[in-house]
Amino acid sequence: MAALLLGIALGLWLTASPAVLDYAGIARVGALVAGPIAASVSWIGLSEVTRPVRRFNAGVGVWLLVTAFLFRQPRSAAINSVVVGLLLCAMAFWPAPVKGRYGGGWKALVGRHV
Amino acid sequence: MSEVPPGWSYNPSSWSERLPLIALALAGTVIAGYLALYQSGVTDSVWDPFFGRGSQVILHSSVSRILPIPDAALGAIGYVLDAVSGTVGGRERWRTMPWIVIVFGIAVGPLGLVSILLVILQPVLFHAWCTLCLSSAVISIAMIGPAMDELLASLQYLRREHDRGQALWPAFWGAHSATAESV
Repeated sequence: MAALLLGIALGLWLTASPAVLDYAGIARVGALVAGPIAASVSWIGLSEVTRPVRRFNAGVGVWLLVTAFLFRQPRSAAINSVVVGLLLCAMAFWPAPVKGRYGGGWKALVGRHV
Repeated sequence: MSEVPPGWSYNPSSWSERLPLIALALAGTVIAGYLALYQSGVTDSVWDPFFGRGSQVILHSSVSRILPIPDAALGAIGYVLDAVSGTVGGRERWRTMPWIVIVFGIAVGPLGLVSILLVILQPVLFHAWCTLCLSSAVISIAMIGPAMDELLASLQYLRREHDRGQALWPAFWGAHSATAESV
């Protein structure tokens, strides 16, 4: 649960960071795209039945890491991108136990049942 | 016959699970309806405590006019569909009315995803934010996770019916529900 709440906070921070750290251009667009996605994915993952969705944030994190080095951007934006990217990757795989029972979950829909 | 799906620790179709979602959908209907009235010119101004003229910029943007009707009106229709499809059926509707549960899941899921897209477009394309648009998006996204459990229960039910050799189409409409899962 804590990992998902931190994921929401990271997404909101990323969305606000162009205004707070005062940067523009491609770095701003990247933050404004990745931020809402990261926050939304973490929020959807708060429900146990949709918990697996949080792994998607690892992709968002990797994207932030790659773009930090791929595009020229202000130092503050690049550092922010790397730090948030690493944290999102970590939170995507941080243990978040599922306590309820869901009849085998989404995996029960695929594969052969005899 | 138990109301709780096999292998589940609770009933996702119970009213305690569905009523909060219906309440969220109704709140979304009010917000989106208010924004649609402004977009349609019925009201002259729109309330925004944080972003000043941002709401006006967003609500009169080119994206808001892509469709024949204002995008907020489409959002309001989506929320009404959420509320109606969340209300129809009893506590065993995951098994007795899979079709309405699937309609509910389809109504909630894509509406939430479109909301994320609109949140991204506001600052990227128009350099503006809209408080009530963001509130509507938060409601849409908040509904996705809690709505998907019931959808999963219905899909699992259809899968079990398929594995029992039953035709899926009647099961989808709830035709097998009286005899299913009792053997």
